[in-house]
Amino acid sequence: MDELYAVLTRLLMGLGHLALILVVAPLLQGFIKKSKAFWQMRQGPSILQPYRDLRKMMKKEELISEHASWIFLLTPRVAFAATLMAALVIPNAWGWAPLSGWGDLFLFGASLGLVRLFLTLAGLEGAGTFGGMGSSRELFVGLMTEPALLLGLIVLAFITETTSLQGMAASLLNVSPIFIPRILALITLGMVSVAEMGRIPMDNPDTHLELTMIHEGMLLEYTGPSLALLNFSEQVKQLLLLILLTQIIWPSGLITGGDGFLGILWALGFAGVKVAVLGFFFATAESLFVKRRLFRAPHFLATSTASAILALVSLWIIRGQI
Amino acid sequence: MANKESQSVRQLLMSLCIVLAGAGLVWGFVTSRSGDWVQTGLKFFTGEGAERWLSWKVDGLTMFFLFILLLGQGFSSLYALGYLKEYEEKKKSLWPFYVNWFLFLGSMFGVLLADDGFSFLLTWEMMSLFSFFLVLYENEDHQNRRSAYIYLVMTHVATVFLTAATLFLYTKTGSFAFEVWASGAPTLTTIQLNLVFLAFFIGLGTKAGFVPFHIWLPHAHSAAPSPVSSLMSGVMVKVALYLFLRLVWLTLGPGPVWWGWLFLLVGALSAFVGILSASVQSDLKKLLAFSTIENVGILGIALGSAFLARSWNNDWAMDLALVAFFWHTLQHMLLKSLLFMEAGNIIQATHTRNLERLGGLLKRMPKTALGALIGILGITALPPLGGFWGELILFQSLWTNTLNLTNGWSKVVLPLAIGVLALVGGLSIATFVKWFGVSFLGQARSSVTERATEAHFVQVLAPLLICGLAVLSVLWPSATLALLNLPLSVLRTSDVERIRLALGTPLNLSSSYLVLLIFLTVIVVLLSKRGLRRVTATWNCGAPLTPSMQYTAGGLTNPIRVLFAKVLGSRRHVEGDFGGTRYSLRSLRYEGRIKEVFEDFLYRPLIRGLVWLATQIRKLQEGSIHLYLGYLLITVIVVLIIGR
Repeated sequence: MDELYAVLTRLLMGLGHLALILVVAPLLQGFIKKSKAFWQMRQGPSILQPYRDLRKMMKKEELISEHASWIFLLTPRVAFAATLMAALVIPNAWGWAPLSGWGDLFLFGASLGLVRLFLTLAGLEGAGTFGGMGSSRELFVGLMTEPALLLGLIVLAFITETTSLQGMAASLLNVSPIFIPRILALITLGMVSVAEMGRIPMDNPDTHLELTMIHEGMLLEYTGPSLALLNFSEQVKQLLLLILLTQIIWPSGLITGGDGFLGILWALGFAGVKVAVLGFFFATAESLFVKRRLFRAPHFLATSTASAILALVSLWIIRGQI
Repeated sequence: MANKESQSVRQLLMSLCIVLAGAGLVWGFVTSRSGDWVQTGLKFFTGEGAERWLSWKVDGLTMFFLFILLLGQGFSSLYALGYLKEYEEKKKSLWPFYVNWFLFLGSMFGVLLADDGFSFLLTWEMMSLFSFFLVLYENEDHQNRRSAYIYLVMTHVATVFLTAATLFLYTKTGSFAFEVWASGAPTLTTIQLNLVFLAFFIGLGTKAGFVPFHIWLPHAHSAAPSPVSSLMSGVMVKVALYLFLRLVWLTLGPGPVWWGWLFLLVGALSAFVGILSASVQSDLKKLLAFSTIENVGILGIALGSAFLARSWNNDWAMDLALVAFFWHTLQHMLLKSLLFMEAGNIIQATHTRNLERLGGLLKRMPKTALGALIGILGITALPPLGGFWGELILFQSLWTNTLNLTNGWSKVVLPLAIGVLALVGGLSIATFVKWFGVSFLGQARSSVTERATEAHFVQVLAPLLICGLAVLSVLWPSATLALLNLPLSVLRTSDVERIRLALGTPLNLSSSYLVLLIFLTVIVVLLSKRGLRRVTATWNCGAPLTPSMQYTAGGLTNPIRVLFAKVLGSRRHVEGDFGGTRYSLRSLRYEGRIKEVFEDFLYRPLIRGLVWLATQIRKLQEGSIHLYLGYLLITVIVVLIIGR
């Protein structure tokens, strides 16, 4: 009976974890848009606009290219589900993840990889040039983000001596915030996040020009509910990356069982502020830079990989092991 | 009339092959459950004493690879049952195929069962020879003849090294038996031991497809008929890797640390070079063959991690590396055979191997496409299928290995292998998205593709059965682990149960991940079902859409080619004809070439050197009688001086 109770609690907490992420993700998108509007001295759309967009698109008729097959319709669904799978390993406001254990840091990147595989396939479905262009570029950027993301997380795993994201968040509490390998790993993951979120200087989420778009190119054929799902999963992915970063920068806010409801509220509010500050930071960074050419992308991502390697070397030097 | 006869011969022989494989598997399941012989080995047809040769043995390690071989034999024969029909219709004699097919399978059995150097060399040479004949089966095409020739030469260079090592060990220990070698290995000097190891490494590495000995593999695997390709890529390269465990791990002993580093570095190089070359290929089967090199490289990294952990006495990392090795061996065998079968279906339907002429096959060959989609999901090392979980365990092994080292630069190099694996993973996504996307999605790029129809029933069935098995191995990880236990109980002496207990829980994640992902997808599908759908044209800025507007196979991975231009040695040449005007382009000629880097920089100089040496030696024998008399004189003088 006790076991059943424990399983049910876990299940409910997992569902709550997903529900919270789903509810907050569009809000973050709205907030980042608003922040960008602030720097561009515009009024900008309401912070709730992403919710309205999603609702509107869910109701619309769906247009499907005559060349497309069932993979075209399956892709948004699988992409959304796989993003949720990635969400299951991300530690929440108080450092708890529904799916945690041995090596789950690899699961995060791999789930995002699954999204990428299906999206790039869907880009080729329409038999047009735009989709292929998007797929080609996404594959190119993806193969460079993957080593950087994994190496950055591996360095943190070496610092904390665990390969579970939940364990890493808990152990980082005891590590000095200006510990050099940690800062370098943070730089790596920050740069990777920019690439993964499809933001300037890697990609521009606001345009539909064939010269610049990567992510939007693959989505060009999508309409209605499918487009809503893809946009939604992109927003969720953005939130996940920001949560991951905040848990590394400042993992405090963890609560114990005795803190009760007020403790949960406090942890959630604290985490919300952290994510909002980081979101504002990225909006600012995006307003300061311009999008780079595609063939400059390797330099950007090589820098982040190099930073991860430096983090590794400096970690062993600091520990006196080299 | 003759047609009917050959049809029944085909059905009879291939069914025989399947039944034999099935019987072998059942026998294996029944017997491997009990008995010490899994660890100590069961000998048969074997005389006593150190002088013995032609001796055979089965133990847990052999059992695992026999399992791989029997699976491959069963599925490939089932597939061949349908595939060979085309040759029958072309009135091409199938007897050379049948004879070599059976002998090839039999000689692979022999290599796995061999318990002494003599029977090993004998069966190894038979395996090379019969696979050479199978590669040569479609000998009308001169490209295939050239491929088979390269294969024959390379495999014989490998055999030279293996023979040398075998004979050396025979002279040192006075026996061919592996056991006597194992007990004699510690008496060898370090230099002798290292030389024997290097000879084995080159000899076996050539067959396995390690870079830089890999040049034959993409040619041979793509020239062979598809059932043979799936057997060569799925099983034969694994047989070579089996021998690394048998001859190096178990016989030559732990060895110095640099053996592990060699495996790790060559593995990383093979994985990177293999997948990079695959990503710029536009030949349906060559791409898969290059990807085999990549996967052999990943297996090499696993072997390297295991060897390193063994010399550093890190049992846990060693167990993980070995589990990763066997897990990946199984998965790669399943998925690569599957992909070669699907490639065979495409080739029979369209009669072209060129990706640039395919497209839109998903609607014409839906079942083939389904199998291929599951295949690329598995082989790109993405969850939820098997490839990913093997790499996860390998990552963990490298991580544990690094963490347990007290100091040294190894602590930086080992994690970099994880980085290489991640890069390889990204490249393999690009490669297989191209392979699948260009051939199955979009519009047909040529008229042959437009006329394509679905393949014969068994040619669709065999890959789908493999898909089922691949999914099952993830859904029921404890069964897969039980299978991996067989070789592990031979390779390590301490308690094997511990591995199952420790690995069982994390690997159960694989099944829960798969179930959860499917569950979530179904929920999302159900929730987003309402609403209208309408089929329309693709948005093309208002202009009519032609097939040539799609991205080509070359174009899709062109950024990769540009980024790695130096490594690939890629060159492009664009020539525009403006017809005298400055602005109106009449025609454009584009030529892109990928250099065969290893052939140009390693093998050609080597061959040139050999030829040069040969011409120098020829000068000794000029055909002039005076010179020969001179030789006689010198010989007499030398003999007189020595015999004084």
